[in-house]
Amino acid sequence: MAAGGAGGNSGKTYSFKVVLLGEGCVGKTSLVLRYCENKFNDKHITTLQASFLTKKLNITGKRVNLAIWDTAGQERFHALGPIYYRDSNGAILVYDITDEDSFQKVKNWVKELRKMLGNEICLCIVGNKVDLDKDRHVSVEEAESYSESVGAKHYHTSAKLNKGIEELFLDLCKRMMETAQAEERLKGNGASQSASSRRGVQIVDDEPQATPAGGCCSSG
Amino acid sequence: MSQRTERRGIHVDQSDLLCKKGCGFYGYTAWQGLCSKCWREEYQRVRQQQIQDDWALAAKLQREEEAAYASSQGAQSQPQAQSTPPHPGHVSLGPFSKFEEKKTNEKTRKVTTVKKFFSPSSRTASKKEAQEGKSPSPSISRQASFDTDQVSKDFVDFLKNLQKPGREIHKQSRAFIVTMSSKKDLGADELSECVQDFYQHLADRLMGHFKGSSDSVEQVMDQVEKYIMTRLYKSVFCPETSDDEKNDLATQKRIRALHWVTIEMLCVSFDEEIPEVSDNVVNAITDIIEMDSKRVPRDKLSCITRCSKHIFSAIRITKNEPASADDFLPALIHIVLKANPPRLQSNIQYITRFCNPSRLMSGEDGYYFTNLCCAVAFIEKLDAQSLNLSPEEFERYMSGQASPRFSTSDGDLRQAGSSPDVTATNPALAQLNHNLKLLSGLSSKQESLMEAAQSLQADLIAWPETVQREVNGIVEKYPLEILSRTVSAIDANNMENDNLPPPLTPQVFAG
Ligand SMILES: Nc1nc2c(ncn2[C@@H]2O[C@H](COP(=O)(O)OP(=O)(O)OP(=O)(O)O)[C@@H](O)[C@H]2O)c(=O)[nH]1
Ligand SMILES: [Mg+2]
Ligand SMILES: [Zn+2]
Repeated sequence: MAAGGAGGNSGKTYSFKVVLLGEGCVGKTSLVLRYCENKFNDKHITTLQASFLTKKLNITGKRVNLAIWDTAGQERFHALGPIYYRDSNGAILVYDITDEDSFQKVKNWVKELRKMLGNEICLCIVGNKVDLDKDRHVSVEEAESYSESVGAKHYHTSAKLNKGIEELFLDLCKRMMETAQAEERLKGNGASQSASSRRGVQIVDDEPQATPAGGCCSSG
Repeated sequence: MSQRTERRGIHVDQSDLLCKKGCGFYGYTAWQGLCSKCWREEYQRVRQQQIQDDWALAAKLQREEEAAYASSQGAQSQPQAQSTPPHPGHVSLGPFSKFEEKKTNEKTRKVTTVKKFFSPSSRTASKKEAQEGKSPSPSISRQASFDTDQVSKDFVDFLKNLQKPGREIHKQSRAFIVTMSSKKDLGADELSECVQDFYQHLADRLMGHFKGSSDSVEQVMDQVEKYIMTRLYKSVFCPETSDDEKNDLATQKRIRALHWVTIEMLCVSFDEEIPEVSDNVVNAITDIIEMDSKRVPRDKLSCITRCSKHIFSAIRITKNEPASADDFLPALIHIVLKANPPRLQSNIQYITRFCNPSRLMSGEDGYYFTNLCCAVAFIEKLDAQSLNLSPEEFERYMSGQASPRFSTSDGDLRQAGSSPDVTATNPALAQLNHNLKLLSGLSSKQESLMEAAQSLQADLIAWPETVQREVNGIVEKYPLEILSRTVSAIDANNMENDNLPPPLTPQVFAG
């Protein structure tokens, strides 16, 4: 559900949480830094950190606060994914167009996200480093048809040349707003919304049966 | 004490010193001119009245809501809640009693509540609140500390700026705390559910009032959280109904068992040789430990955020580039292992259960908190693979048979044992030998100290015996003769008795 998606209609501000997922070195950090600070491989940066960045947008008169969560990409942290992406409105799955493996990783993430979060989350699949098109190892057709088959949108970007990044985030924001508005309409109609959906982050074991999530009938 | 009153009594009209109730005892300015007994009675009365008023108002609001609900929804309303008369102590009467009802009911009802909340019909509140603002009553609750009172005062001050809605918010928050006090033995999840429902309820109403300005709503919600959670902290932090304490102990033990994990194994980009870096590391450790001392979830979150900022600084200084998540998480894991923060699981659970959810889900604090959750999860599951070790190595370190600090420099050292040439080449072993020498020196000093102590003890035992013997000898030489004599009252011939201060009854001066 939309984190800040509840409330009145007109002058409201949307707050969205977006997670960045993908193998190491595909350019996740480069993408956000380019988007939020317009920097690439800049050593004289004043930025303290590039793991949590925010961007304020105004889309068709509506204010949007975007919070972009970088995630640790190393394999040994893979199991922590669910803790990161819980309650997120969107996910940006990045691969490196010169690296076939990184595209396989994206497919794994898609499977996991759909399993854990269903269709509530807006997925973007991003082929980064298009400036290196001569070394491309993932075909455009394959990437785009796969994305369509899983209900995700596909984008091509280059953090180096600042290509396709604005479009990616703007598009994602619009989609998240649509989802939030649809959800609001649903709420307005009195459709029941699960109480647990607004709960915060919880540590949950990998094994589903150990989940202590906010049950409503456990005895006190 | 009585001296002082007497001295003042000469110059001041005695009636000024008496209890304003005219009971004949002295009154005190701190108790608004009443004596302790009358003050207690009076205060109890006012408080009782307050509670009664609260419930009356709550019931009235509820009736209004129900009426509005009934008229808009027809036959769907619930009759049993309408007719119940107000009665202090029966918590189910408050406007928030609907938390206990089915979620679907709450959903539809909420719509009317939003309108009601700031409507003029709740004006009844204003008179009493104004009087309350004049003389804030001190809390008589035994739990209430200075802190709690200060928080309440701050809360009222903050709400005053909001005028009428402020009064409503105060009323609702107070009623909610009363409601919660009767639910102490609920499970942790249900307690959380209650608080979260309250937050959402209030936030939804505020959203209507502030016309969707989420910043204003957030501001108010922060204050509400502070006020409510300061009061509920004792009963809902690490509740007995949960496993929190058990988990705390398990995590603490786990972290202790992992004392051997090095920065290199975690791939942390800290160069602790740089003084600025190690300063930041120390600060980060202090911040994460400090979290346990805070009562408000948001204050606990702030500790995590401060800790994280120090980590970022340390990485920034070491690598000269901004930290990404891949730098940050391992570093945070390292800090948690070093700090072994007290009651870590309880604190995480407490924040998860009782923090204002919007802050936790998308804010910056939420990001760092999530990373802390990840760090703890990683520590719990950590195995040989996650540290790039072989299972055998991992086992040896865990069982304490080996330490990575020795084996990383030379793999054969373990077999070589403590032969002198090894000692010469390995600084750690040299240090160990040095420490052993120091220890044996200390132990011989300790032994001689013990000997001295024992002879002193023997002397001490012998001393009263010799004294006793001497005394006996003298008593034998000069036997004591006792002459009989009449015993008189202690103060029979005490001529200055009249000058003593009188007992605590007031003196009456004629003119
Ligand atoms: N040519 C080219 N190089 C890029 C582009 N984006 C990123 N890089 C380079 O790829 C490398 C990795 O980039 P990062 O942004 O650190 O990748 P990451 O996904 O954050 O990696 P982890 O933090 O390890 O998960 C860096 O050397 C970047 O300079 C791009 O669009 N084109
Ligand atoms: Mg990165
Ligand atoms: Zn009195």
